[in-house]
Amino acid sequence: MKPGYKKVERMTPIMRIIHWVNVVAIVAAVVSGLYIAHPYYETFISDPALDKYVMAWNRWVHFMTAILVDVTSIWVAYLYVIGDKERPWTKLVPTKRNISEFGEVVLNALTLNRRKRFDTKEMDSFNAVWFALMHLLLIFMLFTGLQLYVHGLASGISSIGSWWPWMLHLVTDWTLFVFGGNMGVRYVHHMTMWLIVVWVACHIYVQIWRTIYWQEGDIAIAFGGSKFVKDDKLD
Amino acid sequence: MSDRVEAVKKLFTSKSSRVETNKGDTYYQDLFVKCEARLNEMRAQAPANRLDFSDLLEDNGIDRREFMKWASATTAMLMLPPMFTPLIADAVVMMNRAPVIWLELQDCAGNSEALLRADGPKIDEIVLDIISLEYHETLQAASGHQAEKQMEEAMELFKGKYILFVEGSIPMGMNGQYGTIGASGETFHDHLLRCAENAAAVVAVGSCATFGGIPAASPNPTGAVGVMDVVKNKPLINIPACPANPANMVGVILHYVLTGQVPELDSLLRPKFAFGYRIHDNCERRAHFDAGEYVEEWGDAGAQNNFCLYKMGCKGPMTFNNCSIVRYNEGVNWPIGVGRGCIGCSEPDFWDKYAYERPMADAKIKAPTGGVEKSVDEFGLGLLTATAIGIGIHAAASAVAGKKSGECEGESK
Repeated sequence: MKPGYKKVERMTPIMRIIHWVNVVAIVAAVVSGLYIAHPYYETFISDPALDKYVMAWNRWVHFMTAILVDVTSIWVAYLYVIGDKERPWTKLVPTKRNISEFGEVVLNALTLNRRKRFDTKEMDSFNAVWFALMHLLLIFMLFTGLQLYVHGLASGISSIGSWWPWMLHLVTDWTLFVFGGNMGVRYVHHMTMWLIVVWVACHIYVQIWRTIYWQEGDIAIAFGGSKFVKDDKLD
Repeated sequence: MSDRVEAVKKLFTSKSSRVETNKGDTYYQDLFVKCEARLNEMRAQAPANRLDFSDLLEDNGIDRREFMKWASATTAMLMLPPMFTPLIADAVVMMNRAPVIWLELQDCAGNSEALLRADGPKIDEIVLDIISLEYHETLQAASGHQAEKQMEEAMELFKGKYILFVEGSIPMGMNGQYGTIGASGETFHDHLLRCAENAAAVVAVGSCATFGGIPAASPNPTGAVGVMDVVKNKPLINIPACPANPANMVGVILHYVLTGQVPELDSLLRPKFAFGYRIHDNCERRAHFDAGEYVEEWGDAGAQNNFCLYKMGCKGPMTFNNCSIVRYNEGVNWPIGVGRGCIGCSEPDFWDKYAYERPMADAKIKAPTGGVEKSVDEFGLGLLTATAIGIGIHAAASAVAGKKSGECEGESK
């Protein structure tokens, strides 16, 4: 360890598992989702149908990754409020302190790290908002996606019981009205995918940038769970 | 906006759109008794016209056996158990006692055409022939004041009993002056409201009458809307599609004649027996969809082998209609069967949102603000490019002038 620095724990193993499950699930969902929207590779026409099931497999992957994200979302919702580590909601409340911290983080990036007047030991307000935005996008994908999914359960029955399509209609039919029918829901579901991709690009950049310019090993948070900050006591 | 809020409220409090195909023996026994009583009541009434169904069948060379086959198919379509087949057959004969007024508003008359141009009328068309059509703006011989008088008389004579069929959208722009009818220059809007007032039920036929259809397509110059946006507090049934399938029109009328009630409807007021299922789930080409076998261009090897039309813009996966089951012209064929995709004609805003002949991902759509049309992917890639440029500028600036923490300790204090 660099002299004058101390190690701070930031992400527990559970949080890191959630993070990487989300990464894998989102990448797989984008790849399979793009195929569902417009099948971009051809299957061999000479090949008989028995050993290819390309669209069906893509949809299978898409739904499985959706379920993974759904499950991690429940975990995240739990950790937001109850978790003993970061409790991001405390950084989300628009208090005077949080708002000024948010501004300071933005200024830090704009001044290319010349001005750094916030505590980098813990999650900052900007990241709290930024991550919350991702969770909202994912929840939005969940509602619109399940609405598209329930179209295939028109019979009202499913292998796990009729409560399932019933519940999906109950919680997702509002999207039809808000976005203008089946196709409107498809538009926004596809559009939101791009917002998530843009989000991911910004997220990766910010973390790399911080690692380089803050010199605190921020990128390691997602891998080893900890980063380094200057030890105030040694100052 | 308040309409929309109401609709959302209704959604959260209403039952799911599940299609109840079996409601239990007790329910059907009760319904059977009710229907029988109703048919007896109708039998006692004098027919409103002299057309006889059996004669018409004979004239068109359709024998009893064929008719009974049709009756059992129609019973199944209405999701009634087989014991209702004789009642359906009876109800058809009684159709000349069901007074109908048919309005022709802003559209191409395609729904009437669908009935008229059938190559040799099939049973569906014959059934629609013998309904007591008291007034039909396109078909009637009368014109001018004479026609108006006929309508007044029909509305008076069958007050509260007639079924009002509406074909075509209602132009609301310029105080409705885009469409007027009759010598008095009554607007379509006023005309519809006047006729709907004393109707037993209103049936909107075709995509224009249900959701505005092609007249309501962007930029909707006449401010066209569907019947459901104008007529309130009346039993209203939507039979969308362009044109509406005669089988579904007959189904709705039969259901009404037989039970005296409107059939079970979905949230868009479409009868569930016809619009409860997705085209995609009953499509003959579905296996090719799952296998990833698509027609890539018209006439290619895929097209010759009946591959899935999804990449040619088929909207079967987003469209609810029974044409993949009942097809058109008494089961002869249907759009996907002839090798072209579905254009989603029974869904709201179909012309703008479904009818482009490419997958949704490739369709140019208007931004909510109007103006530039881009596909979702073009817009998304544009957004990603802008992000990449932003990141690039920041990264370059940081590389040139960025300050790494710990380099100049004095400054940060």
